[in-house]
Amino acid sequence: MTSYITKKHLDRRTFLRGLGATLSLPLLDAMAPAQAAASVSASVAPTRLGFVYVPNGVIVPDWTPSAEGKGFDLPHILEPLASVRDNLNVASGLSQLNARSLGDGGGDHARASAVFLTGVHPNKTAGADIRSGISVDQIAARHLSEQTRFPSLELTLESGKLAGSCDSGYSCAYSNSISWRTETSPNPPEGSPRAVFERLFGDKYGELNAVERDRRRSYRGSILDFVLEDTQKLQRRLGPTDRRKLDEYLYGIRLVEKQISWNEGEATDAADGLEVPESAPKDYAEYARLMFDLQVLAYQTDQTRVVSLMMALEGSGRAYREVGVKGGHHQLSHHLGDEAKIANLRSINRYHMEQFSYFLEKMKNTEDGDGSLLDHSLIIYGSGISDGNNHSHSELPILLAGNAGGQVATGRHIRYPKDTPMSNLFLNTLEYVGCPTDTLGDSDGRLDYLSGLDG
Amino acid sequence: MSRLQPCGLAGVESGMTEPGFDGNLDIMQTLGLSWYRGVMNDEDTDRRKPVRDLILRTIWASSPRQAAGRVFLAALIGGCQSVPHGGDADMEMAAAPDSTAMAGFLETHCYACHGAKRQKGGLDFETLIMNDGHLVDQELIGRILAVVTSGEMPPKRRTQPEVEEVQAFLLDLNAQKEALLAGIKPDPGRVTVRRLNRAEYNNTVRDLLGVDTGPADGLPPDDSGYGFDNNGDVLTLSPLLAEKYIEIAEDVAKAAVARELEDYDRSLDVHRNILVCDHSALVHNATCADRAIRHLAPQAYRRPISREEFNQLKHFYQLAIDHGESFDAGMTLVIQAMLVSPHFLFRVEDIPSPNDTETHHYLEDYHYASRLSYFLWSSMPDETLLSTVRSGSLRNPRTLRDQIERMLRDPRAAALAENFAGQWLEFRNLQRSDPDPELFPEFNDELREAMAGETSRFFTAIVAEDRSVLDFVNADFTFVNEPLAKLYGIDGIVGPEFQRVSVDPAFRGGLLGQASILTVTSYPTRTSPVLRGLWVLENLLASPTPPPPPDVPALDAVEIDPGATMREKLTKHRENVSCASCHDRIDPLGFGLENYDAIGKWRGEDNGRPVDSSGVLPDGSEFSGPDGLKGVLLERKDDFVRCLAEKMLIYALGRGLEDYDEPALNEIVSEVARNDYRFSALVYEIVRSLPFTKLRGEAESS
Repeated sequence: MTSYITKKHLDRRTFLRGLGATLSLPLLDAMAPAQAAASVSASVAPTRLGFVYVPNGVIVPDWTPSAEGKGFDLPHILEPLASVRDNLNVASGLSQLNARSLGDGGGDHARASAVFLTGVHPNKTAGADIRSGISVDQIAARHLSEQTRFPSLELTLESGKLAGSCDSGYSCAYSNSISWRTETSPNPPEGSPRAVFERLFGDKYGELNAVERDRRRSYRGSILDFVLEDTQKLQRRLGPTDRRKLDEYLYGIRLVEKQISWNEGEATDAADGLEVPESAPKDYAEYARLMFDLQVLAYQTDQTRVVSLMMALEGSGRAYREVGVKGGHHQLSHHLGDEAKIANLRSINRYHMEQFSYFLEKMKNTEDGDGSLLDHSLIIYGSGISDGNNHSHSELPILLAGNAGGQVATGRHIRYPKDTPMSNLFLNTLEYVGCPTDTLGDSDGRLDYLSGLDG
Repeated sequence: MSRLQPCGLAGVESGMTEPGFDGNLDIMQTLGLSWYRGVMNDEDTDRRKPVRDLILRTIWASSPRQAAGRVFLAALIGGCQSVPHGGDADMEMAAAPDSTAMAGFLETHCYACHGAKRQKGGLDFETLIMNDGHLVDQELIGRILAVVTSGEMPPKRRTQPEVEEVQAFLLDLNAQKEALLAGIKPDPGRVTVRRLNRAEYNNTVRDLLGVDTGPADGLPPDDSGYGFDNNGDVLTLSPLLAEKYIEIAEDVAKAAVARELEDYDRSLDVHRNILVCDHSALVHNATCADRAIRHLAPQAYRRPISREEFNQLKHFYQLAIDHGESFDAGMTLVIQAMLVSPHFLFRVEDIPSPNDTETHHYLEDYHYASRLSYFLWSSMPDETLLSTVRSGSLRNPRTLRDQIERMLRDPRAAALAENFAGQWLEFRNLQRSDPDPELFPEFNDELREAMAGETSRFFTAIVAEDRSVLDFVNADFTFVNEPLAKLYGIDGIVGPEFQRVSVDPAFRGGLLGQASILTVTSYPTRTSPVLRGLWVLENLLASPTPPPPPDVPALDAVEIDPGATMREKLTKHRENVSCASCHDRIDPLGFGLENYDAIGKWRGEDNGRPVDSSGVLPDGSEFSGPDGLKGVLLERKDDFVRCLAEKMLIYALGRGLEDYDEPALNEIVSEVARNDYRFSALVYEIVRSLPFTKLRGEAESS
């Protein structure tokens, strides 16, 4: 048995190219963990969720189709989606009004990301008492956690600042994550493709024989028991906030415990021959495609059904020189009507869309049960800011891709009444994964029209 | 709960240093007398002195807490008989300071916009003011003091109050603030249990097991709070991190044992932690395992271990033996378990009554030693430090001083430059800096490293030589290697090694002339006077600015010629009153650094025009260039020291500061000034401060 870990000096450019084609359905079944096998039959594929975040808003006039309903037009930013237009909806009018100041002053970037999947106005703090809400991906993840190896994955294409503050008195935790496991615990996303790959397909004990592997597993089990016991004992001597901190550790350890039953060897076999870059590619498109490839693989091998990905952190100042943009994204987003800056922003927005389109095409071309992965998924793409120039959180740019296993009719531009809570969409979303919920954030009811049956 | 703004409540302006006033600086600082210049900024120079005298007299009378503190201090140091007596009568005055002027001023000048009818900025003084005419929110008072002092409020377009009216108002407000401060009960606060961050994990396993491969580098980044990534509240432990802890513990344990086996095989006579016996490493030997565990575990947990804890760990050794494995495998498993115990991963500071908020406990000596070592080394205490705990002498002032001095000279203190200074000064962000390669072709990874190297070495020199912290502003030396010397135009430096060089203060010297800082405060394509000005305000001066208004709608309305220079654009921008209130303070400081381009290279011209590096401060005073800016900072040296002390206290504690920390902060600042601003005095005062030495519990439900 070969372990990828031993493949040190590899050409990062060849990594994962065309991988989707090498993993066919039978393999997928073989790789599913024992407890999940029943739910991944060829006929009833599970519904997967994806959340893709772009920071700093978009140039709205170049995003919003002028026509509504079927056969809508694709403005400049959406043009790259031509090949998957029938597999998605553009949803206009949805807002995250809890990202507004509401008396808290500046900090719209931090709030935009903290509210995007939670619908909850975050507590303004540089550290003490960090609080938002549980995000939709995490509600779903918890519900599905028994079905897969990982309840969810959180990914990013940008790493956070290493010093200083991020936005106007908000801890960086708010702008560096969109996923909140509890209202006090944001999930920091992983930015290294290699780390993601190792998590999904790594096999620490790949070179050991069966007896030794079993022994390692049993040791690990004992160590986890020890940690659980020790941590619980310690908790009894601490105050409430400290206990909550240790709860985070307990939760993580219990998940690891659960994962022991996953047979790493088989996943490694499937990934055999893959090549992994040591560090994140410098070229943005290459980086994005790599992460999206991994996301597709994670779905395909049913290691998780919930993935969130930040195309960049909120307030990102990345310079997209790949498309000739020299200034930092955030710096440009306050364009004050300067046409040159607007053109730059349009290029960035479209560039992001090209990567997203790559992802959707890949999902569409990956077999899954009786259809494609995209058929069985709902991927929500968007930003917590609409117009970056004035930090508006109203009428956000939102795309809904995939059919969620026939539960969503696609190919339309749906215009909702202005300032319909985006949280309403999340009620639908949770229903699609069998986790009906009555309220989330500022929701006031489910969204109409998504099924295509109600007009 | 109101909290201290980042970097301070008070800002003392310059100009208060004439004979007879020097000794009162700390008091004036406490009172937030930064308005002195703001009020008297015009041609009224002849009126300054009488007004100032009046103010100072009034302050003396209305600052009983400080006066009392000074009497206490005077008693301690046995001198300074001129300190006024703070008696009971004063205390009563503090409880109910006169507030007529304050109430009248608010009504006349503020209610129209911040009253029952309108609540601009969400502020309604009419409702907030008490029946007896008092305001009771310390943070609010601080904000009002700041805006009225700077002349920002009342807005220029409204009727302006008379100078005397402003003075009376501010005195009332100061008295009010003092009364509130006097009412603050001493409170050490509490620190949320901190897990080791990446740097601390790496350093700890290096010092514990000799594994210096940086095993934590692959962990997800640590988020930061209050500017630092060692904040207990912000250091979350995600499922991913828990998973990785389990994994790297196995790797570290294996590496540690392998390393000692190698030494053993080569018969190297080095100190061994794991293979403590002289038997073959492969042979099971329970006595040796016991010895190794008793040696290692107290270091890993940073305190003595209980019998039960010993048994728990021993169990893992036995488990391996029961599976037919050898001594080294058994110890590997023990270490693996140790490294994932919450007692290793978290810095536990438990107290007898975790839910009691009233009782203040001294930290246990072992916890105190850990605070000290993680503060100065980002690592575990060493044997020398622990021995002072065992002998019970650590809290003896002389021992404490000796330990601090020893630790600051130790190579491990490089962590303070790396982790404290790297975040305080933000030069850690160099790793993310991305100057445009066409505009700045000389920028590469070598230069990037050289920039960080300069500031690191500079900081370390001040620490190791125990220099004045004011050298951060105006040192006449720095460190360069060849790539950096080239950037700076310094001749004769060859190779990658750094050399200490003297510099011309007009061009370099002090933090403000260092490329690291100038680069992280720039955009990829150009400098940003705004970012640089903010950096100076937030990181060097006790002067935070409020964040920009939430919706910035006004910006759309501002028509700015795209061809204008940055200075012209910013001038236009400041014509908007709501922008001007802050940018009048921010922009000029940044302009002073315009002679440095976006990677810190000196320039005389920008886009073919000569660089204008002059700035006009809100009080009307002018300066020019980096040297002039340094002068401005040195005039405000107490602001600088307060800012540094506040940042360092946040870092040392691993939490943000609260109102009740202000007395401790004041004391640190005045003691540092008393000790010629020496760096070690700053560390010593922090280490012996109330919040660093004591703890309390937290109520069960909020």
